[in-house]
Amino acid sequence: MRLRVIKAYFLKEMIELIRTKMITMPYLMPLLIVILFGYGIKMQVTGVRTLILDNDNSQISRKLILKFEHSKYFTTMVKNISEKDGLREIKKANIDALIIIPSSFEKNSLKGIKTEIGVFTDASFPSRATTISNYIQGVILDLANDFNIDDSGVININTRNLFNQALRDEEMIVPGLLGMVLLISPAILTALIIAKEKEMGTIFNFYSSSVSKGEFLVAKLSSIFFLVSINIFIVFLVASYLFDLPFRGSFFLFWLASEFYVFVALGFGLLVSIIASSQIVAIIVTLMLTIIPAFMYSGMIMPISSMSGEAFITAHIYPVMYYNHIIYDTFLIGQGFSSSTNILYLLLLFTYGVILFILGLLFLKKEIK
Amino acid sequence: MKIFITILLKELISFFRSFGLVILVIYFFTAEVYVAATGVEIEAKNVALGVVDKSAGGISKKILSNLHSPEFKTPKFYKSQKELSDAIYNKNIMVGMVFDEQFEKNYYKKLHPTVNILIDSTTASQSLMAIGYIQNIVMKFNNLKLPVELKMHKLFNQNAETKIFMGVSELLSVITLLTTILTAIAFVKEKESGTWDIMLLMPVNPKMIILAKSLSQIIIIMIGVVLSVGLVLFHSLDVPINGNLLHFFILTFFYVATTAGIGLFIAAVSKNIMQISQLSIVIMMPIIFLSGAWTPIYAMHPLLQYLSALAPLSYYIEGCQSIFFRGTSFIDLLPYFGGVLFLGVILYWYGFRKIGKLF
Repeated sequence: MRLRVIKAYFLKEMIELIRTKMITMPYLMPLLIVILFGYGIKMQVTGVRTLILDNDNSQISRKLILKFEHSKYFTTMVKNISEKDGLREIKKANIDALIIIPSSFEKNSLKGIKTEIGVFTDASFPSRATTISNYIQGVILDLANDFNIDDSGVININTRNLFNQALRDEEMIVPGLLGMVLLISPAILTALIIAKEKEMGTIFNFYSSSVSKGEFLVAKLSSIFFLVSINIFIVFLVASYLFDLPFRGSFFLFWLASEFYVFVALGFGLLVSIIASSQIVAIIVTLMLTIIPAFMYSGMIMPISSMSGEAFITAHIYPVMYYNHIIYDTFLIGQGFSSSTNILYLLLLFTYGVILFILGLLFLKKEIK
Repeated sequence: MKIFITILLKELISFFRSFGLVILVIYFFTAEVYVAATGVEIEAKNVALGVVDKSAGGISKKILSNLHSPEFKTPKFYKSQKELSDAIYNKNIMVGMVFDEQFEKNYYKKLHPTVNILIDSTTASQSLMAIGYIQNIVMKFNNLKLPVELKMHKLFNQNAETKIFMGVSELLSVITLLTTILTAIAFVKEKESGTWDIMLLMPVNPKMIILAKSLSQIIIIMIGVVLSVGLVLFHSLDVPINGNLLHFFILTFFYVATTAGIGLFIAAVSKNIMQISQLSIVIMMPIIFLSGAWTPIYAMHPLLQYLSALAPLSYYIEGCQSIFFRGTSFIDLLPYFGGVLFLGVILYWYGFRKIGKLF
C-alpha cells in the first residue's frame, strides 16, 4: 500500500465523478427515493369513501350515520339509491365501502331481534379492505353504548402503541427508506465505476500499471465512501426535519452503523462489478440484488418476527435487517448501546463488510480473462 | 409498407439475438412478478405474540385459544412485564398482552376487567391490523347481546390475499419500466455503436423508422405481457379475472404505446445507455409511485393527487384493477381508456417530434 498512489488515484476518481456528472447519483437519487416514498406510501387508512344506504331513516340509523360522519377514518355519503346501484359505484371505484341499513332496523333492534347490516368493501386492495372492515366493526360496536347494555362484565382492552403513539406513516416508513437508499446508491455507484472502466477499456491502464489490487480498490472505494458518508448526514436531516421524525437514540450509533452499512453496500457493488462487463448489466444486477432485500427482507413492510421458514432465513442472510434494526432503534426506540442486540448487529454489519471486501479482493483479476 | 415491415423485422431479430436483453425481459416478466407477489405480505399474518399471565388462567386461556394461525403465532409466555417489554424492544415479538392478578376476579365480579396490550408500532400497518384482530376476538368473547349483526362481504377478493393484488401491480410496474427502457435502448444503441449514421444515409422516411422501431418494442412487450399473464398471474398466482381479458390487452396496448412515447423522449435527450438508465429512473420512479400502485390516489397528499392525474400509469392501474378484480363493464371503463389515450397521444406525439429532430 503506497499512500501516494492511493491519493493520486483518489483525486483522479473524484475529478472524474464530478466531470461526468455522476456526482449527482449519490445525492439526487436517494433524496428522490426518500421524498417520493416518504410522501407516497400511506399505510394508515383514512378518509375511506363510504356510501351509506339508509333504508330505515330512523333515530338509531341516523345516530349510526353520525358516528361515521364524525370519524376521521370515513368520508361519508348518504344516498337514496338501490343496492344494485350502490354495488355499481364500487365497481366504478368511486367508493371503497358500502353500508346498507335495512328498513326495519330501529323497530327490530328495540324489540331485541337481531338485524343484519350489510357491509361491502372493495377488496381489490386487500390490506385496506381488512383495515376498513375492522374500522366499521369498531363503529358498530361503539353503537352498543346507545342500547343501554350492561357492560360492567365486559373485558376492556387498554392498548399502548409503543414508539409511535400517533401511528404516523412517516415514522414507520422513513427509517426503512434510509436503509434502502444507503444500500442502493453506493452499491450502484461502485458497480458502475468499475464496469465503466471495463466498457471504455480504460481498465487496461490499471492492468498494465504497477498499481496493486489493494491500492486500486482502496482508492476507488474510498472516493465513493467519502461521498456517501456526506449523504448520511443529508438523509438524516431530511428525515428529522422534512418528515419530522423524532430522534430518541444515540447519534453516534446511527453514524457508526451507517458507515459500516455503506461499507457493506460498497462490497456488494464491488462483487457485482467483477461479474458485470458493461454498465447496463452492472446497474440491473445491482438493482436486482439490492431492491428486493431492502424492501422485503428489511422488516419495513413485513416485520421479521412474523416471518417463518425460508423468508426468516433469507432475511438474516441479507445485511439490511441488521441495519434497519439499529436505525429504527435510534430514531424511534432509543435503547442505543445499552441493548446487546444493537451491538451484536453492529458487529455483524462490520464483519459482513469485511468479508465482502476480502471476497472482492480475491476475485478481482489484474489481467484479461 | 415493405420497408416498414423490413425495419420491424430487423428490430425484432436484433432483439432476439441480444441474449442479455432477452433474459432480462423474461426475468422481469416472470420471476420479478412472482417474487414481488409472493414475497410481500402487507396483511398481518403470523404475528409474534407475547403474553404475561398473572391471573388464575381460566379466562385468559380461553381468550388466547382464539388467537391462532394464520393471524398469530403460538404465544410465547414471559414471567414479568419487564421481560415482555424487553422482548418488544428487541423486536422478538410485536404484540404483548398482559393479564394482571385482578383480571379474573374482576371478570367474575363484573368490575370492568382490563387487558393491557403493548404494541410495537414501528412496523407499518401490521400493528394496526393486529390491534383490530385482538379487539374483534375479545369483543366476540364478550358476547354482547347486541341487536345488530354485521354481514361482511369482501368483494372481489374474499380472503384478502395480498399476492393477487401485488402480482397485478408489479406486472404493471414492470411493463412501465421495460417499455421505456427498451424503446430508449433501441434508438440509443444505434447511436452508441455508430450505426446511426447508416440509418441517416438510408433512403427511407425517418418517420417510418421511428414508427417501426417503436412498434417492434411494443410487440416485444406485448409478448412479455401475454407470457406473464398466462404463466405467472393465472397459472402460478391464481389471479381471478372478473372482467374481459380482451379489454385488458387493448388497454395495455394503448398504455405501452404511451410509455414508448416517454421512451422516445428519453432516447432523444440521452447520449448513451448509461444516461438512459439514469433518466428512466428519475422520470419513471415518480410516475410509478404516485400512480396508486402502493397507495390509492385519493389517500395521497392533495398536491400529489393533481400530479398523478398527469401520469398515464394512474389511469392504467385503476383500469386494470377494475378489469381484473372488479369486473367492471366496458362503459364504466371508458374513463380509463380515455385517460390513457389522451395522455398517450400527447406523449407519443411529443416523443416522436423530439426524436424526429435527430434525423
